[in-house]
Amino acid sequence: MSLEQFQDRNVAEQNYFHVDIPDYPTTGWGKVKRAASRTFKGELFVGLWVVFREMIKFDIHTVQYPKEKLPVGPRYRAVHEMQRLFESGTERCIGCGLCEKICISNCIRMETKLDENSRKLVTDYTINLGRCIFCGYCAEVCPELAIVHGPRYENVSDQRAHFTDFSDMLTPIDAAISGTQKEFDGFGAVTPHEDERVKTTPLAY
Amino acid sequence: MFEAIAFYLFAFLTIVMFSVTVFTKQALYALTALAAGMIFISAFYFLLGADFLGAVQIIVYTGAVMALYAFGMMFFDTTRNVKEYGRSPQIIFLLSGMIALLIVIIFVVPIVSENITAIYPVIEGVGNSQAVGMVLFTKYLIPFEVAAVMLLVAMIAGIVLAGKKMDYSLTLMEDEEIKLAEESKEKALS
Amino acid sequence: MDIAFLIETVVKIVVILLVFSALAGFGTYFERKVLAFMQRRLGPMHVGPYGLLQIAADGIKLFTKEDIVPQNVVGPIFKIAPVITAATAFMAAAAIPFMPSFTMFGYEVHPILADINIGILYILGVMGIGLYGPLLGGLASANKWALISTARAASIFISYEVITGLALLAPLMMVGSLSLIDFNNYQVGGIASWIVWSQPVAFVLFVIAGFAETGRTPFHLVANDHEIIDGFGTEYSGMRWGLFFIGEYANMFFISFVIAILFLGGYGDGSGLGALALLAKVSFIFFFFLWTRAAWPDVRPDQLMWLCWKVLMPIAVINIVITGIVMMF
Repeated sequence: MSLEQFQDRNVAEQNYFHVDIPDYPTTGWGKVKRAASRTFKGELFVGLWVVFREMIKFDIHTVQYPKEKLPVGPRYRAVHEMQRLFESGTERCIGCGLCEKICISNCIRMETKLDENSRKLVTDYTINLGRCIFCGYCAEVCPELAIVHGPRYENVSDQRAHFTDFSDMLTPIDAAISGTQKEFDGFGAVTPHEDERVKTTPLAY
Repeated sequence: MFEAIAFYLFAFLTIVMFSVTVFTKQALYALTALAAGMIFISAFYFLLGADFLGAVQIIVYTGAVMALYAFGMMFFDTTRNVKEYGRSPQIIFLLSGMIALLIVIIFVVPIVSENITAIYPVIEGVGNSQAVGMVLFTKYLIPFEVAAVMLLVAMIAGIVLAGKKMDYSLTLMEDEEIKLAEESKEKALS
Repeated sequence: MDIAFLIETVVKIVVILLVFSALAGFGTYFERKVLAFMQRRLGPMHVGPYGLLQIAADGIKLFTKEDIVPQNVVGPIFKIAPVITAATAFMAAAAIPFMPSFTMFGYEVHPILADINIGILYILGVMGIGLYGPLLGGLASANKWALISTARAASIFISYEVITGLALLAPLMMVGSLSLIDFNNYQVGGIASWIVWSQPVAFVLFVIAGFAETGRTPFHLVANDHEIIDGFGTEYSGMRWGLFFIGEYANMFFISFVIAILFLGGYGDGSGLGALALLAKVSFIFFFFLWTRAAWPDVRPDQLMWLCWKVLMPIAVINIVITGIVMMF
């Protein structure tokens, strides 16, 4: 399916066609004819041939999951990641609390305080992944691109508390310093042509 | 020796099974015991060398008891005990006991008096089914054919009785047609 | 009674039981693989090389699972029903000649347990009892799905029995014997003398009835997963459910043997090549059972009864009449 076809949301007209089904026979002779045509048409053997052809072709589509995995799209919304600043490695989160406010399932909780430089410091940040519906609002609203959705979808645990572990979500500091931390290009990220869309703020308010 | 062991084993099993059939209050137990008893009876045919009759016993009675199961399924909740209503168990006991006694006497008397002879003794070199066929198609040809005709009559009668409203299908009818049919039925009743 | 005969019989029983219980396991493996390949999948791959040890894993799982007998079921019948399915499947095998007779250590072995001269009647009768397993299991389960499956089992039974009997009559008239060995000897003359060429209609009818008897896909009504969960097996767990499975697959193998011997020449002249040919035929018929499961849809119970009583039975009767006329002149 090409992209144009995919983006054409008018599903009622494209790709659909009516199967030609004859009317249900009402007379006895009609039923006999239908039974005879079904018996001698060889449709059953067509079915047998189709599956046998697939078996000989051996065109296997199985993904042997734990050994091989399908690539995840860049906009996939799985478990959150907390990004760090490049080079310095400090957390990007400035403790503004927007994600906490916008979260529609109320699963983000943060506690902040002012540190010795009178800057806001996040002391406690938890996301209850048991409640999160992965809507992506937090990533979209974040002004600093600090909380983003990562591609990690395998979250099995025997403890629900493991779903809230902040250190799991935070990018390791060596990854941030060495520059291997991936910039988020999904929900709410800066689009490639963002410069062209920026408008000067009218000063006439 | 093996034959004796097998005979007593199957005799015991058959009697136990039919006793269960008679004495239990559970429809499922009764039916299952009946089927099992019928199949155990076929063992006697095999022991006597009448293989054909044994196989026929199995085939015929599994099918027959299967039909009984269908009735049992429709009439009873088979996982519950059936409540039996008998006005005078004494009379039932007396009558069935008398009939059983009579049957036993009828079958035991010729054995006791020791003058049974086989009218159609086993012919050497002729298979079991052939022997049955020879007797069936010579001496007993007319009863055999009459029985066949009778079964045919029963079958046709069954088809006629069951097939009265074969073309009456609620799934193929429009709503109005169903309503009309119900009204006409009510009219016929009132 | 001869001690040697007794030992031979016991050995034969043990061999048949072991071989076909194992084959039933392998049958599930083959089924999963063949269906997977036909549906562009790989099937079991994790346990052992190419998933071969999957059977062992399934066996261990079934054996160690808790044997649950739910409330309100009719206990004894619920417990005995799977045994009936498995036992009758193996009992039917007593009259099947699996191989031509061969000499081993100077002792002639007939790979058939009991060469009774009504073999085919016995086999069909005992296989018919096998349907009592689903019937009793469903009735005793105190479960509505199981009850529906019971009703279907009864209706299937009274439908297909007629077809098997009538379809077999025509070849029986030609051969003049009910013994499977006589059937085999009738077709000794090579491919041209197979009964399938002289009785193609009877062959098709018998295969259709065989599908109904084993409950394989076009007639997979008794335990049709997408309609009635697992039918009679809904309340079963562990090895009791496994016994149903073993019975079903053993039945498939035995009916394959019966079809191969009755219509496809059996083991021919009794040489080693003939034995291999028999195995090849049986494997193909077994494969056909799996093949149809991948390709064909299921019919409704009323369609099965319609097919059996209104279509196949008249065809079978006409076939018998024509065979009789041809044999007379």
